[in-house]
Amino acid sequence: MDFLANLQIGFGVALTVQNLLYCFAGVLLGTVVGVLPGIGPVTTVAMLLPISFTLDPISEMIMLAGIYYGAQYGGSTTAILVNIPGEASSVVTTIDGHQMARQGRAGPALGIAAIGSFFAGSVATLTICIAAPPLAAIALNFGPAEYFSLMVCGLIAAVVLARGSVLKAIGIVVLGLLLGIAGTDVNSGVRRFTFGLTGLADGIEFVALSMAIYGIAECAINLEKKDEQAEVTRAIGRVWPTWADIRHCTPAILRGTVLGSLLGVLPGGGALLAAFGAYTLEKKVARPPRTFGNGDIRGVAAPESANNAGAQTSFIPMLTLGIPSNPTMAMMIGALMIHGISPGPRVMTERPELFWGLIASMWIGNLMLVILNLPLVGMWVKLLRIPYRLLFPAIVGFCCIGAYATNSNATDLFVMAFFSVFGYLCLKLECEPAPLILGFVLGPLMEENLRRSLLMSRGDPMVLIQEPISLTFLIAAVLLLLVVAAPAIQKKRDEALQE
Amino acid sequence: MTAARVLWLNCRMTIRAPKDFWSGIMFIAFAATAMLAARGYSLGSAGKMGPGYFPMALGGTLGLIGAILVVRSLFAPGEPVGRIHVLPLSIIATGVALFGIMLEPLGLVVALIVVMLVAAFAGRDSRPLEAVALAVALAAFSVGIFVVALRLPLPIWPSFL
Repeated sequence: MDFLANLQIGFGVALTVQNLLYCFAGVLLGTVVGVLPGIGPVTTVAMLLPISFTLDPISEMIMLAGIYYGAQYGGSTTAILVNIPGEASSVVTTIDGHQMARQGRAGPALGIAAIGSFFAGSVATLTICIAAPPLAAIALNFGPAEYFSLMVCGLIAAVVLARGSVLKAIGIVVLGLLLGIAGTDVNSGVRRFTFGLTGLADGIEFVALSMAIYGIAECAINLEKKDEQAEVTRAIGRVWPTWADIRHCTPAILRGTVLGSLLGVLPGGGALLAAFGAYTLEKKVARPPRTFGNGDIRGVAAPESANNAGAQTSFIPMLTLGIPSNPTMAMMIGALMIHGISPGPRVMTERPELFWGLIASMWIGNLMLVILNLPLVGMWVKLLRIPYRLLFPAIVGFCCIGAYATNSNATDLFVMAFFSVFGYLCLKLECEPAPLILGFVLGPLMEENLRRSLLMSRGDPMVLIQEPISLTFLIAAVLLLLVVAAPAIQKKRDEALQE
Repeated sequence: MTAARVLWLNCRMTIRAPKDFWSGIMFIAFAATAMLAARGYSLGSAGKMGPGYFPMALGGTLGLIGAILVVRSLFAPGEPVGRIHVLPLSIIATGVALFGIMLEPLGLVVALIVVMLVAAFAGRDSRPLEAVALAVALAAFSVGIFVVALRLPLPIWPSFL
């Protein structure tokens, strides 16, 4: 009965006029940035963080979440019609999706992507409803040692799933932790790494850091690419797939949903990994398999279902444990903290309206997205005609306003300028920045939990392996590292992430 | 040719994975800065961690990882670093810093128009008139949305006016 009562609270919150409007604004904006290559949900959420601080936290969460899963819908449109992934997570959709478009079946490809996404989104929302409360109940008993080990495990998982060299990814995580603890130390009042600048007394501003990397540095990288004039498939045709198509795709959608929901929960996972995983799985199990790559509709249905499912379930660790599974989630944690809410297992019991309202809004948002995407697809395609030369000065401008508005602190602009150079170098050196953002958010939390657990054990580090739950997390972390270090698997991982 | 240059050329021949090498150098640089800065913070002990304990531990780890990367890059082959386009990046970063300098004394309209025009310089195919029109339009939009509608505390016009 609890379940229904909770949903009732949730829909009560999500269905208010104000929250419906913010949900709509979020999914609309998400679709736009999803369609546009060169600007993604991470950048958008970062740009909107300072503005949304003026909102009520529930409306803010609903809007930011809408941007994230809305972008998954929009990304597939560009992938299918133009053969450019509008979003990283729709890279695999280009393979079969664009082939379908070239064969004149763009409509059904878009249709099945939206239907699969909607189905997967609904299932994943239900999964959050069912999985989150027991998980939060377990997490309520976690002490500092368990939390510390959980964070170690989460960061290692993010490292393992990052592209490129594992060692570099570990280095980036450690650097993120180090940047995260800059500023006034809460326990001693010592100002760390401020280099005499009063503007850094509160630490490096998260908004400035993330916009530097995902907004400005990305702009600089994108400017180097040739401005490809997008060749848009004109004839979209009937969007609604035939029953035969839907029957053909049902197993693919189901498999994509399950796999996507599972992979979304993993730290470092989320929508991107889910889409890759689902496509690989589908190629292995679907019969007949040969048609993949030549416009097989299942090659659209599976990854599109999976990326949306993964986008939704990546909220589970954020909402129940306070652990971000990807940069967007890290930003949502940052947003909650600015409102004085520390994300974790207590949110569900102390602010049920926030938790359940957000979940209910996701289902409503998915419904809005189907309507936004199917009949209006022609409008989104027009967006692709906006040249990048107009887009990037606007991105830079908005990032600047956002960086200043967060704290009305001009130092944040210099921080942003510095880290945009740093972010550019990272991208050039193939140091993926996502683990940096996760480390940055977790840095202070890790220090605090380590400090507390060692205080209780009087400095004995064995406490971390004496508690069974903590030990389990650490073993999982070591296993993950061993697995990825094994040469055979490393090769497989490279293939899977490259494909 | 100076001795340093000869040494550098010799090194460059032995670097087999430039991307790893430079990542390692970057990590070492950050680690060294962090550990130098953290010298002044008291370490405390494991049971009573001082403000320097965690930074030192992290700095040490980061330095170690950097060192491994550098050494490994001399043996294991890897990809070369792609071309670094210094100019567009530094133009954009300068624009961002200019915004920081100008916003408080000159207000949002001037600062935003300047940063957008500077940024437009970084693009290869930017058109001057178009860039000006875009900057003015976005400045008007931003004042409307951010200052008037959302009431963010941003000065609109120069403070001396």
